[in-house]
Amino acid sequence: MESFLKRARSSQFYGIGVLLVITLIVWVVFFALTSVINPGSFGQPDKMLTYLQRGLIYSVGACGFYFVVVQGLFDFSIGSMIILSELMSIAFIPRLGWLSVVVVPILTGMALGLINGLVFRTLRIPSMIVTTGMSLIFEALSVVVADINGTRLPAQYSIFGSYPWNLIFALACFCIVGFIIKYTRIGTYSSAIGSNELVAKNMGVSVNRYKVMALMLSGTFCGAMAVLYLGYGTAQTPQTGMLSQALNFLPLMGVFFGIAFRRYGHPIVAIVIGEFMVSMMLAGFIAIGVSTTVNQIVTGLTVLVILMLTTKVRNGAVVK
Amino acid sequence: MADKELLLHAEQIDKSFGPTHAVDHVSLDFYKGEVHCLIGENGSGKSTFTNMLTGILPIGSGTFTLEGTQVAPKNQVDANHLGIAIVVQEQGTLDGLTVAENMFLGDEGQFMRGGIKDTRAMVKKAQELLDDYGFGHIKAQDPIENYTFEERKLVEIVKATWFNPKVLVVDETTTALSQDGRDHLFRIIHRVRDHGDCVIMIDHDMDIVMAISDRISILRDGEYIGTVATEEVDADRLKTLMVGREMNEKYYRTDWGPSLAQDVAITMSHVSVPGQLEDVSLELHNGEILGIGGLSECGMHEVGKALFGASFDRTGEVRLADGTEINDINTAIDRGIAYTSKDRDNESLLINDTIADNITLPSLRDYGKFITASKVRSEAEKYADLMSTKMVGVSQFVSALSGGNKQKVVIARWLAKGSDILLLDSPTRGIDIKVKSDIYNLLDEMRKQGKAILIISEEIAELMGMCDRILIMKDRKIAAELARDRDLTDTDIIQYMI
Repeated sequence: MESFLKRARSSQFYGIGVLLVITLIVWVVFFALTSVINPGSFGQPDKMLTYLQRGLIYSVGACGFYFVVVQGLFDFSIGSMIILSELMSIAFIPRLGWLSVVVVPILTGMALGLINGLVFRTLRIPSMIVTTGMSLIFEALSVVVADINGTRLPAQYSIFGSYPWNLIFALACFCIVGFIIKYTRIGTYSSAIGSNELVAKNMGVSVNRYKVMALMLSGTFCGAMAVLYLGYGTAQTPQTGMLSQALNFLPLMGVFFGIAFRRYGHPIVAIVIGEFMVSMMLAGFIAIGVSTTVNQIVTGLTVLVILMLTTKVRNGAVVK
Repeated sequence: MADKELLLHAEQIDKSFGPTHAVDHVSLDFYKGEVHCLIGENGSGKSTFTNMLTGILPIGSGTFTLEGTQVAPKNQVDANHLGIAIVVQEQGTLDGLTVAENMFLGDEGQFMRGGIKDTRAMVKKAQELLDDYGFGHIKAQDPIENYTFEERKLVEIVKATWFNPKVLVVDETTTALSQDGRDHLFRIIHRVRDHGDCVIMIDHDMDIVMAISDRISILRDGEYIGTVATEEVDADRLKTLMVGREMNEKYYRTDWGPSLAQDVAITMSHVSVPGQLEDVSLELHNGEILGIGGLSECGMHEVGKALFGASFDRTGEVRLADGTEINDINTAIDRGIAYTSKDRDNESLLINDTIADNITLPSLRDYGKFITASKVRSEAEKYADLMSTKMVGVSQFVSALSGGNKQKVVIARWLAKGSDILLLDSPTRGIDIKVKSDIYNLLDEMRKQGKAILIISEEIAELMGMCDRILIMKDRKIAAELARDRDLTDTDIIQYMI
């Protein structure tokens, strides 16, 4: 038994296995609770597909954010980039049709991410400050763009808000980012920069270039998330006064899981399972009648406890 | 060296960091098929010189000419492509990457096909190399953080040598390796030399320098002093050349009488730490230097941490003479215990902070509610001067100091704190003989003042020369206790280690 456990722990699928088991436990706990308190309100197959749908949306955003956090940077403009990408999509629909539903938000996100990266590289001030400042600008731009064609997505263009296209689109995004991590230099160099920037530089890594690329990838996948988010919600109002920041945190939850489980080699799978679990928990708390505020507090604490229990850090290891 | 062919010529190499003239117009020749040691005190410019050669630092002025072609590498990978490689003194591998990714970091081009990395081919090549070097127990696909400091150093050695560099720089690497690791390194060095290439080695261990080198060049305060054939000098002559005067004052303690030790300062009773220590008990007395020796992985380095309250999952008891239990670092520091780690850069120093901040850090809580910059500065200056730290000023960043001067900063910190119990793990690791001599004199003075000192060391001569008692550890336990004795020999100690 002991040797089996030892072998299991050293397996590259150990982390994912643990996450799946925890997800199952979360489902069982909420299903049991709601069976008593509010029968039929949680955990049925159709509802599980809804949780997965929401999880997929945030997972796509987390995919790009992952590169930023791995490098030791941060991006506070996630929410504003998503909103601006959605509004750009709506604005160009009369001229570009379907192209505007898919390509425009992705290109917008990519451009905004690139701007973030270039401003960061040029000004040489911390990424948190740069992206916070830029998010204010993106928010202001979203107000201007919203005036072009309103804030509603025409119903015929909302196919990415439901199965199977949302799943196909999300899977394509996961495959692309998984490929980037494993089969291009960016994945390796992002980890190297996050680990020790100076050593990475000495190994010939163009640190600034890859930081810009990380911020650009972050923007690109925000644009991709915007495709799903707009399809799901079918409308987006512009946000100002930093209100877009609220959209930062659900993708960030997934990044937590990705970072914590990356040593098992499958950060994207961890992101997706993590986001699905968070989505299920949020729905579960609603089903048992917990208020939104308490719901968010308990969900936040639960995620922290899960991460603490599942990612056992070696005693004495530096945790940043 | 008339019979040897010139490989690398350094012409008027010069480098300054602000007001510090680190390398002062050094010209040197390196020949094919030789092991060429660079020696000098800490801060003499050895590492700066080789760092310029290997692309870690840009060249200030002057030229390196390799086989008739002028070279100025922009980084380590660029240097590798020119046929120059380095194994650095501190950790040169990166967490978050696999062993294979670390081995080919910056040089993935050979595995890229149309912008796509062939991870399988990379892992396969890395594993073949590890197997070929006899390090088959290291798996190329594993995350590098699964391995010990020494194993990671072995990965670096493979990384630096697999492509048969014309010039291999080995910068103070032996101190990170056990005897087994050193044997591997020496075998590789001989292989490079026998292949007709050149090894430039920096090491403070005179025995190693004398045993492995063909020629030795000496730097002092950034200036080139001279080059000698190893067979024509002895260790004493080299020391004189390094320091610039005869080293005729005492180096180790010369007293062999009864120990000054009287009352117990700190007691460790039946302490165990999973995988590190098993039921270890010891007493450290006031006015005593107690040594702990053994092979690198015997658990001795954990003893210092356990006494300092820094061990995790510790069982057993650590208690001061007044009965205070030491279970955490804050209590230890408050009760006058000081600890310096073997891993100086990662565990003892705030490497990207100033000398002043490093020295005063544990003392800040003694300065009252308000801490003034002038108080911090004056305290730091007082103790940095006391340790004769070679620096521009206390506002200089520690990262710019040489290894020996960094260690002086660490010791100055605990002098400033007024600690009575000093737990020193590898206190002279990577330190030149002049600084070593200074530290030994200081420790002896402190012993005479009644302070209790524990030295954990992999250098047997240091243990024999400085300690009143020596505890030898093997397999996480204390295997023997030896009293200070003029007739004690290396063999007496080694027999308990292995």
